[in-house]
Amino acid sequence: MVPLENYLVLSAIVFSLGVYGVLARRNAVLILMSVELMLNAVSLNFVAFAAYLDPNRITGAIFAIFVITVAAAEVGLALAIVIRLFRNRSTSNVDEAAIMKW
Amino acid sequence: MGAEQAWLLAAIPAGMFVVLALFGRKLPRGGDYLGILAIGSSFVLSFFVLADLLGTEEKLGPITKAIDWTQIGNFQLRMGTFVDPITVVMFGVVTTVALMVNIFSVGYMKGEPRYWWFFAVLQLFAASMLLLVMADNLLLLYISWELVGVCSFLLIGFYWEKRSATEAAKKAFITTRIGDVGLLIGIILLWREAGTFNIQEIIQHAEEGHFSSAYLFVSMCFIFLGAMGKSAQAPFHVWLPDAMEGPTPVSALIHAATMVVAGVYLTARLLPVFEVADGTTLIITIVGLVTAVLTAFMAFAQTDIKKVLAYSTVGQLGFMFVALGSGNPSAAMFHLMTHAFFKALLFLGSGSVIIATHHNQDMSKLGGMWKKLPITGTTFLIGSAALAGVVPLAGFWSKDEVLHSANSEWGPWALAIAGGAAVMTAFYTTRLFIRTFMGEPRDAHVYEQTKEPGWAMTGPLVFLAFLAVVSGLVVFHGVGKVLGFPGGITEFVFLEEAEKYSIDWGLAALSLLISATGIGIGAWMYWGNSTRRSTSLATSYPRAYDALCNKFYFDEAYQWCIDRGVLGFSFLVSWFDRYIVNDTGVDGSAQVTGFSGYTLKFLQSGKLPNYAMGIALGVVALAFAGILVRG
Amino acid sequence: MATEVLWWIFATAIVAASAGVVLSRSIIHSAIFLIGSLAGVGAMYVFLTVEFLALVQFLIYGGAVTVLILLALMLTRMGVSGLPEKVNGPQAPFAAFVGVALLSILVYAAAATTWPNNISDKPFPISIETISEKLFVDYGAPFVIASVLLLVALVGAIILARQEEGE
Repeated sequence: MVPLENYLVLSAIVFSLGVYGVLARRNAVLILMSVELMLNAVSLNFVAFAAYLDPNRITGAIFAIFVITVAAAEVGLALAIVIRLFRNRSTSNVDEAAIMKW
Repeated sequence: MGAEQAWLLAAIPAGMFVVLALFGRKLPRGGDYLGILAIGSSFVLSFFVLADLLGTEEKLGPITKAIDWTQIGNFQLRMGTFVDPITVVMFGVVTTVALMVNIFSVGYMKGEPRYWWFFAVLQLFAASMLLLVMADNLLLLYISWELVGVCSFLLIGFYWEKRSATEAAKKAFITTRIGDVGLLIGIILLWREAGTFNIQEIIQHAEEGHFSSAYLFVSMCFIFLGAMGKSAQAPFHVWLPDAMEGPTPVSALIHAATMVVAGVYLTARLLPVFEVADGTTLIITIVGLVTAVLTAFMAFAQTDIKKVLAYSTVGQLGFMFVALGSGNPSAAMFHLMTHAFFKALLFLGSGSVIIATHHNQDMSKLGGMWKKLPITGTTFLIGSAALAGVVPLAGFWSKDEVLHSANSEWGPWALAIAGGAAVMTAFYTTRLFIRTFMGEPRDAHVYEQTKEPGWAMTGPLVFLAFLAVVSGLVVFHGVGKVLGFPGGITEFVFLEEAEKYSIDWGLAALSLLISATGIGIGAWMYWGNSTRRSTSLATSYPRAYDALCNKFYFDEAYQWCIDRGVLGFSFLVSWFDRYIVNDTGVDGSAQVTGFSGYTLKFLQSGKLPNYAMGIALGVVALAFAGILVRG
Repeated sequence: MATEVLWWIFATAIVAASAGVVLSRSIIHSAIFLIGSLAGVGAMYVFLTVEFLALVQFLIYGGAVTVLILLALMLTRMGVSGLPEKVNGPQAPFAAFVGVALLSILVYAAAATTWPNNISDKPFPISIETISEKLFVDYGAPFVIASVLLLVALVGAIILARQEEGE
């Protein structure tokens, strides 16, 4: 099989792509999707560590389960917010929700 | 009541000062009788102190009393009183002259505004001066030294509506201040080595040779600077003539008899230490001689009677310092005592003339006053004769002692210079007397208005004249025995051992000759109160006359120094304050804050992606830092 | 050998799909690519012998989350104008810089760390009994709290997204 570093590099790549997506995209839902990517990469990382380094306690796998749970809840709530934002401003463009400025 | 309660002499006037300062305005007659009462009680108590001192077995005193004041670390500070013959002489002088001045002021200051305040400050002054002469440590002495300076300032500037008075008060205070800084430095230097402020312990420390000689020389020079400042020796003499702006009783008390002799007292008290430090006694003598000669010249050209007396005071103080520098404190204290009496007499006499002629002090308007002011004139004649050194008045004996000590310690050259100063003294005294009291009046209008003042002013004149006549005789063994101190004053006040007084006939004759010469020249030049001969002399040597009139340009030189030095430095300081402290420090920090706030507010764009970018950049930066640190 | 090749195929697929998510011009396409990426990660879980997690991943992410996202996308479109709208915000270059920097840091960290030497190429097989035992015994409290969290999220989402009176 593949060594541990492969998994780490893979999750690093996905995570960086997710960061780029969060920072560069205009649509709020797209930003959310990038956040999902990041969470995924992190879970993968944790499970890889659990499998390779911590076989007795497999903390990483448990962590990944909880990450998935919380991510699902968070997506639901975040999308509710986006829908509300859309209702108020008729746009889901985060650049235009900028009233609280100096 | 004995010498241990000597502090009462200062406490009573001090308490009366507080009373008068608080309530004097409301008391009838401004509380002047309270002032006279306070000084009078000090006067009486001083006799008790004298009796107690004379009662101690063989060696005369000293009687001390001290209390623990404070403790700082290992250093124990004790404050107390120290009574020995020098102290008692000063007590006598200060209380007598202060009492006479207080009585005189009742007449002189009548009708002046702030009458009550005058008497209050007189009390404060008497208290501080008495405290000064009985202080047993240098710290207490310095405190009372400053206090008398403050009183002098308050009294010179008494007529503060006049610009010249406030300027004179300021000048006096600042000039003596320069000397006082030297005194403080000297005190601190002595304390560093001796570990104590107590005068007797310092003397003991010095005589046992524990000071290094260069260190002691420097410290004593600083202390002498303080004495020079307070006693108006050259080059600090510039404040005393200007101090004549104050009321005449003030001039009599402070600037003739008591405060200005504080420097003499200090030097006499520390004379054992001066003797140990080589070279300081020569410096003292030379300063005294130079001052005596210089001020005698300056007195030639003055037309204001008070200013002539002021220069004469400075010159006589120079004489006292000559005696001290020659190692003879008894001669110095003796001359101090006699000078106090006849100079106070002369000043009060001139005050009487001033009041009688309605504040006319200019000699060019006076003349022929004797017919109109008989008592004043007679007492003034006695005072002038005493100043000139006519036998058997007091001045003759004390001046003779001074010349004798100068000659025996330093040799004929000192005698010659001092003698020359004495000749000049006799000359200008004669000039003063003739122009004021003799001959024809110069200003008829002024002459018409003159009349003899009341007993409040003439009484003290008579008493002081009596003292001016007899006080010289204390030098004799017989007189001293009657009064309680056998051996006369030379065995009362002495440095190492009592000197038996013997008349040096040659020197006595020389003194008489000196006085006669001076008086003769004065009489010849101003016979019949005509200035013909003197004016012709003045026009023949115009530049010399100008130099004399302008007091050898000392004041102009000092003003030039102030203009260039002090103002230049202050320009630098003000530049620093405006540009560095204010613009950069105060304004600058405020502007930096405002500017940074203004630029930083653009971070708050309100846009979510910007904030997210901030987070991401922060994480990246931290990660980089972490890698760099941990490798 | 074969599993290794398979692993590499899946890894490439994941990367391509993630790139598609963040770089695609159409939003719907990004959503589809997200499904692919999540599925690929699920496959990775199979390689790491936590099949349970792979199942959970497919179910929740692939089923619930992506459907939710697509639903939200459809509800927040302003009207299909047909023109390609700008998808990248103004700070795209900086974002690229940040992404690259982060990537380099992580890769460096992964490469520079010395792992304990009992590590082998083969991951240790994890059985579902172990997972269940750990989940319900050792981490029972977080489990229950997570269920409360889900309840709260449910209620919150309803409150946030419902129609007010008169809207």
